[in-house]
Amino acid sequence: MEILSSPNQNRPARETFNPLSNFRERRPARFFIFCLWLALFYLGLNEARSQNFSREYPLKAVFLFNFAQFTIWPANAFASPDSPIVIGILGDDPFGDVLEETVDNEQVNGRKFRVERYPHLEDIKNCQILFISHSETSHLDKIIKALKDKPILTVSGIENAANRGVCISFITENNKIRLRINTDSLKLANLTVSSKLLRVSEITPLPAP
Amino acid sequence: MEISMYRNKWLGLLLGLFIALAPGIKAADLTSSQTAPAPSEPPKTNSEVLTTYKKMSLEELMNQDVTSVSKQPEPLREASAAIQVITGDEIRRSGASSIPEALRLADNLDVAQVNSHDWAISARGFNANLANKLLVLIDGRAVYTPLYGGVLWNMQDYLLEDIDRIEVISGPGGTLWGANAVNGVINITTKNAKDTQGLYLEAGGGTELQDFTGVRYGGMLTSNVYYRVYGKYFNLDDEILTDGKNASDASEKGQGGFRIDTEPSLPNVFTVQGDIYTGNEDIAAGDERIGGGNVLGRWTHAMSGGSDMSLQAYYDRTHLTYPYGAPLGTLTDDLSTYDLDFQHNFSLGQRNNIVWGLGYRFTQEVENNAHQVLFLPATLNHNLFSGFVQDEIKLFENLFFTLGSKLEHNDYTGFEVEPSARLQWNVTSKQMLWTAVSRAVRTPSRFDHDLNIPTFLPPPYQTFQSGNPDFESETVIAYELGYRAQLGSKISSSISTFYNDYDDLRSLSPGSAADFFLPHEFANGLKADTYGVEISADYQILHWWRLHGGYDWLKEDIYVKSGQTDMNNALDETADPQNQVFLRSSMDLPFNLALDLDSRWIDILHNDNNGVPGTVPSYFELGARLAWRATKNLEFSIVGQNLLQDQHPEYGFPGPTREEIQRSIYGKVAWRF
Repeated sequence: MEILSSPNQNRPARETFNPLSNFRERRPARFFIFCLWLALFYLGLNEARSQNFSREYPLKAVFLFNFAQFTIWPANAFASPDSPIVIGILGDDPFGDVLEETVDNEQVNGRKFRVERYPHLEDIKNCQILFISHSETSHLDKIIKALKDKPILTVSGIENAANRGVCISFITENNKIRLRINTDSLKLANLTVSSKLLRVSEITPLPAP
Repeated sequence: MEISMYRNKWLGLLLGLFIALAPGIKAADLTSSQTAPAPSEPPKTNSEVLTTYKKMSLEELMNQDVTSVSKQPEPLREASAAIQVITGDEIRRSGASSIPEALRLADNLDVAQVNSHDWAISARGFNANLANKLLVLIDGRAVYTPLYGGVLWNMQDYLLEDIDRIEVISGPGGTLWGANAVNGVINITTKNAKDTQGLYLEAGGGTELQDFTGVRYGGMLTSNVYYRVYGKYFNLDDEILTDGKNASDASEKGQGGFRIDTEPSLPNVFTVQGDIYTGNEDIAAGDERIGGGNVLGRWTHAMSGGSDMSLQAYYDRTHLTYPYGAPLGTLTDDLSTYDLDFQHNFSLGQRNNIVWGLGYRFTQEVENNAHQVLFLPATLNHNLFSGFVQDEIKLFENLFFTLGSKLEHNDYTGFEVEPSARLQWNVTSKQMLWTAVSRAVRTPSRFDHDLNIPTFLPPPYQTFQSGNPDFESETVIAYELGYRAQLGSKISSSISTFYNDYDDLRSLSPGSAADFFLPHEFANGLKADTYGVEISADYQILHWWRLHGGYDWLKEDIYVKSGQTDMNNALDETADPQNQVFLRSSMDLPFNLALDLDSRWIDILHNDNNGVPGTVPSYFELGARLAWRATKNLEFSIVGQNLLQDQHPEYGFPGPTREEIQRSIYGKVAWRF
């Protein structure tokens, strides 16, 4: 640093001081650049209209990943101590490769992840988290009935899913995602979820039969 | 490492490659049976969005907009301070090639390039030659030098690709950060090793930044343990003097390092990291040499109930060889720092969020004095003890009151106290109003305390200028008021205002007339009032086009206390522009092109030469970067800096030998595997 070299020494002599020597030299380039900025700004204002990105499925994928961290499955939910946590998608897949990207190379309690897709209820194999797509709206009750005592954390964005017996439902309101958890369904499925997750969610019991 | 090794840039490049690749290849073999390392994805894709989401808590996730015009989701930034965050993506898009260049992205800083390798950086004024009121941390390691309380920016570097973000807080941060955080805190955070997996290579060159190359490899050591190693090298061409002569200030530098992290979501997280660097720089009097290294370890433990604690230790070593011209001489400075920090964060009841900590730092600084500039004693051992506590109290659902203080003990001035009180009102979920009153101190540096410039005359005239063993800490009481808002879905903005009241600033007082006014001695003879406004706004016009604007206004009134004399006429503490204007544009264009433009107008600087006022003219400058992502893994870019003028000064006293900064253009290729 200059200062270390010679405090108050070796600096230019006073007579060389001419503050106006290169002060505010006019440059046409500046004016040009200024106009360019104005033009760009004007263009932007004119063109500005809402071009929104949907973050719905990246957000939901990260929620699913979070659920895996906050859920304890009974030992019999897994084939072996090192089998992966399988996230199944039932029906039409709205995630594309977002879900794979989310859980790729991730681990929870030493378990890796695998994503599987099941076109129909009969195709479901051993999975720990099951996302029920909107395409299944018409046979949701049948799905809930078939899975209710299996150790599967069911998740869905279908309206009133948790009230109807799905473990966790995604509720989109005011452009945000809220969670509703059906604690009775969790109990039936023999699953324990962390208080951290319960704290941020709404709780709903099973509907009366 | 021998510095002269880097005289040969190709040797440097090879060495960098070797450092980075040798362990990488070995570890890749070991881990290949597990999962392949995740490729580093091009930024601003789904995967970057996912990475951001995955770092968020459930609460934060539930606060994210499902549809958003913003390309990059933003975590809630509710800190009640004048904070600006520069993301790694913004650094990459700006074409910055060094940390000081990246800091130009923070509107609330005053950044001036002194010569090819030296920079003057400050917040809220006082950007004098010996600027000493800013605290800078890299991954929790303080990097200002106790030699004069400032930052040797030529020593601070990293592979910019692996910087996660830079937080720039203007205003005092003494309560949390301690001495020297008088006018601001810069917090540089590098990425977690988990986020830098795979191979990254960059290389390029141009007119001022002549050659540069960087390489990083990240892999997995065992399950849940990630690492990276990196190396980089660059050299800078000479700048130019006002009279058109060559400034002879070329430089070159090489740096390498590593970082190891355990899985960040586990209850116990460990980080170990280190860097080593060496460089040499031409200055008027010869060859300045810098070198150093550091190693840091941190353990973070998350406990049930949301509390966490962390324990951090580091060792840092720096070396400086500084030659003097007529008469010839060389100063060397060797600094060793040992630092231990503990911090604990917990909630008490429903309303109190408490953070407290303890710290100890030991520094040993050894000078090999040049005969014309001495620091006495030549070897100084210094102890710094510190403790702090801060409580954030939730008064109402949307009103928070934060009260805290730091207590420090240093060997020069004993106990120092740095309290602060803050009030934060979340007017709506998108608007926040805050205000704060804080006290901060700048403790004496060796320069203030131990300097000795001899006259080579017999006693009692043997000393020309000397430090003052009774030098007190400089103090500030700062009053701040700020507002931050998200206006609609496209515009976010912040306004911060401040009034700072300084006392005991450094002055230079003459000796008695009987001794021909010798020696000149430092004293705490100045006071100052400063006030100003910092405004910044982001405007996401379209999903592919973002504008950013910033404006700073600063007024400084520095004066000599009654009964005191300052030989610099109270001019020596500043070299600051009264107005700064910034405008930037980021565009994603078709064909995988990205165009970024940045412009700045910096007002006239008033500076000092022995009490004589001087100026640096105001200037307007433009930078541009055009990048083409040829494939998912390969990106070409061309960067222009200071494009409007062949040369312009940003700092220094006027005269034919003032250094000026030239237009710079460089090209760069980056591979990510």
